[in-house]
Amino acid sequence: MLMAENGYVLLRHRDIPELNNIDVYRQHGGFKTFEKTVTSMEPEQVTEVIKASGLRGRGGAGFPTGLKWSFIDNKNWPHYVVANADESEPGTFKDREIMEGNPYQFLEGVAICAYAVRAHDAYIYLRGEFWQLAARLDQHIAAMQVAGLLGDELFGMDFSLRIRTHRGAGAYICGEETALLESMEGKLGQPRLRPPFPPSFGLYGKPTIVNNVETLTNVPPIVEKGADWYRSMGTEQSTGPKIFSLSGRVNRPGNYELPLGATFRELIFEHGGGIPNDGHIKAIMAAGASSSLIVANDEALDTPMDYERVQNVGGLLGSASVIVIDDTVSIPRLINKTIHFFKHESCGKCTPCREGIKRMLEILDKIVSGQGTMADIEQLETVVWLTQQGSFCQLGITAVNPVLSTMRHFRNEYIAYVEEKCCPGDV
Amino acid sequence: MITFTIDGKTVEASHEESILKAARREGVPIPTLCYHPAVEPYGACRMCTVEVERNGQTGLETSCNTRVSEGLVVRTHTADVYRFRQALMGLYLSRCPNVPMLQELAAEYGVTEPPFPTDTPDEKCILCGLCVRVCHEIVGAKVINFSNRGIDRRVGPPFLEVADECIGCGACTLVCPTGAVEIAFEKEAIYIAKPTGPTSAIYVPSLQAIPRVPVIDTDACIHFRQKDITNGEIDDACGFCQKLCEVGAIDFEQEDEIVEFDVGAIVVATGFKMWDPTQLPEYGYGKSPNIITGLEFERLTGSAGPTAGEILTAEGKKPEKVAIVHCVGSRSERAHSYCSRFCCMYSLKQAHQIKDKTGAEVYSIYMDMRTFGKDYEEFYRRNREEGIQFIQGRPSQITADSDNGRLYIDVEDILLGQVMELDVDMVVLATAIEPPENSDEIASTFGLGRTPDGWFAEAHPKLRPVETATAGVFLAGCAQGPRDVPDTVAHAGAAASEVVCLFNQGEVTISPTIAEVDPAKCVGCGECILSCPYSAIWRNDKEKAEVNPALCQGCGTCVAACSSGAITALHFTNDEIVAQIDGLLALVV
Repeated sequence: MLMAENGYVLLRHRDIPELNNIDVYRQHGGFKTFEKTVTSMEPEQVTEVIKASGLRGRGGAGFPTGLKWSFIDNKNWPHYVVANADESEPGTFKDREIMEGNPYQFLEGVAICAYAVRAHDAYIYLRGEFWQLAARLDQHIAAMQVAGLLGDELFGMDFSLRIRTHRGAGAYICGEETALLESMEGKLGQPRLRPPFPPSFGLYGKPTIVNNVETLTNVPPIVEKGADWYRSMGTEQSTGPKIFSLSGRVNRPGNYELPLGATFRELIFEHGGGIPNDGHIKAIMAAGASSSLIVANDEALDTPMDYERVQNVGGLLGSASVIVIDDTVSIPRLINKTIHFFKHESCGKCTPCREGIKRMLEILDKIVSGQGTMADIEQLETVVWLTQQGSFCQLGITAVNPVLSTMRHFRNEYIAYVEEKCCPGDV
Repeated sequence: MITFTIDGKTVEASHEESILKAARREGVPIPTLCYHPAVEPYGACRMCTVEVERNGQTGLETSCNTRVSEGLVVRTHTADVYRFRQALMGLYLSRCPNVPMLQELAAEYGVTEPPFPTDTPDEKCILCGLCVRVCHEIVGAKVINFSNRGIDRRVGPPFLEVADECIGCGACTLVCPTGAVEIAFEKEAIYIAKPTGPTSAIYVPSLQAIPRVPVIDTDACIHFRQKDITNGEIDDACGFCQKLCEVGAIDFEQEDEIVEFDVGAIVVATGFKMWDPTQLPEYGYGKSPNIITGLEFERLTGSAGPTAGEILTAEGKKPEKVAIVHCVGSRSERAHSYCSRFCCMYSLKQAHQIKDKTGAEVYSIYMDMRTFGKDYEEFYRRNREEGIQFIQGRPSQITADSDNGRLYIDVEDILLGQVMELDVDMVVLATAIEPPENSDEIASTFGLGRTPDGWFAEAHPKLRPVETATAGVFLAGCAQGPRDVPDTVAHAGAAASEVVCLFNQGEVTISPTIAEVDPAKCVGCGECILSCPYSAIWRNDKEKAEVNPALCQGCGTCVAACSSGAITALHFTNDEIVAQIDGLLALVV
């Protein structure tokens, strides 16, 4: 379970008890990096370090973080930093553990990011269901204020910073950064047209950096120990450690901090303890509900998990929520459940996503209840194609990934439902 | 400027332009549902999807919100585009199976039957958001928006309750492509489909208007209504007429203004207003669009009217039987006791017109036929000869059958002594006239008296019919009482002559019997100012009452009202009166 020999970078609370106490965190060097940054570094220098480290966004898209920071529009003020803690992808539960166990490292990351982009206000956007977490973060923020780590003229320098929490109302789409900003502005959570991107037109139309919780938690150790140290972990293109949320048919589900580039086999069999009852692994969903299913053959299992090579086997790394599927799982039923989720979470703005997903679910319901025909499968393919080609934002475009990939790789299971009214995986 | 290709044609465009705009300019048809040039593109309906090739990569993109760029290749009619729109229209038709506009568009892509189960057969809304955007971007009222999410998304005001901020402009209904948004009238209007009044907020008042330019009805115009309702907070709503007018003739600043004149005489010709027939419910006005007033009939039969002069019922049919009811609100103790004087004659004219234009059976229900004046009786006789049926009596009830729309009139023909029920297609009510609402204000402004029925009082009913109690103020026309057009013209001529006579005198002789204030005794209480019926007294800069000798008529009201004894009426001083009394008493002794 351990992160190599060096110990944890992100899940440090697993090594150090009560790390969510500000005193404990400070005893272990906490906020020293923030102080060093504010007192001895220029904001641009911080961005350069992050750029050099190769850190990429941990929310799912894998966009280089330093590059994003450097896009901030310095002609338009004020600037904002928003931490995306809307963790809503089914099978993803890493940000929650960070914010519960190691909140100060995350908050320090927020503070350093704010300094780097010259923002004086930072917000943490939490999904609505995280209300208890929001209350605890408020306490942590208050503790930072008492300790003089937030407020005006920090460390005697001309830099002030405030951090506030903001809770959404529990919508999956608000994890999309522009929908998140709309929601923060008090509007209906639905995505904006991009470009312009948030670093030039963000919260209230001002330049805004939106970063995932895990991304920001990576920032303090990078600034403290340097880009070279960070690059020593992971692969050439995908550097650093990553928390993999492992769930599904495995013996030991949970969060695992591993360097990027570790293989699926390592994660599932070495750390996750393999498949229950020594079952046979059938498929992997590498990026939660919106991922294409990867057929779990030897080639796939030995694929290093980084942003590039997971794509080579037909998947996406995304937020690295690895859901394991074995022979006991019926693929059409699994897809039915996934699409049910997306029908509930579609914002309803564009027709292909709103109506298409509803119709997909109707057809899948028909198929798994044994009422389906071959014409239904054909119609399903048409709707899937329409939704993928025609949706306004990534929600609709990626929602069809599981359907599309399974209709390619596990078509026999759909046909079995039509012809034999049941499925090999049906138990 | 950049160059791009659309359907094989090379086109120049500005790089700011969207593919859709450029395509429309070039006459390349692209279907849309959620697009309207008045609002920002939204990209929700996806109907405008076209095939776009850039940097060697081809994909489907929405043309409304994709900008053109150098070297872009756009194809609007490929197999993929057709297949995409076909599948999309399948979704729309399954959601709204009974919207003709969607049925037609779907048929263009070969979709004639909804491909999916239609569980919402009455649904009309496709959630294109045009109504929401027009309400936010153009009107600025922001009363409608989306609620819920996904398939449960719907459009409406907050909590789907009546929103006070809605100005009822109807812009949402105008842009709705499927007819899903409707305006519900709080009070059922007459002739909704063919309004008898102006049909838009900006219009030319009449065909004969001079100058023949449009005016803005500020009560109906979105710009002015929004400004009015929000107390000027939203002062940039709509403004489309201004943006579209090429010569820049529309000026919103050109509003009503108050202009002051110094004048030597005033002719009050404030006219009348039509009495509201809903006050007597037995006439059934408002219960059916085919029960109309005489004035509404004039609009209907006018060549500039909604039917270009054709006499039609609200259903658009030629009426076969029409009843004209006289004395609606006139000569009635429950409304106005006076005769409105000109209704008999215009009702006869209308009866003749109906007979002449439609050949319909016309019933004229009257109390007394008041055809006063030259040639009027002859016109009445002609009507009788034309076969118009005259029924002497007053209807007790007019009802509308809610099933077949027919109108029934219960009336007793007092000449025959017979109660009858008439079954007609249209009823024209010859409604009474009455003084306008603000007559009180006009009366106090000009120091006018009023007769018990509310009309302005003349100085003497026989000898001074155009003068008023206030010198220099004259009456003309129906302001003084009901009269028809020739009488009004004569009356107005008399008023004008009075003014000319007055002005021609050069110097005016006034009665010496006027009031005078003794400033030493006046305490400035102002009682005299309130009591003066001629507005002849004002408070001067020394805070004392002062009499305008040109206005004072010497009535003496102020003398009685003055509690400090500061006002005397010249030639009627206390001493003079006491001396006269003494003289009288001496005679008796």
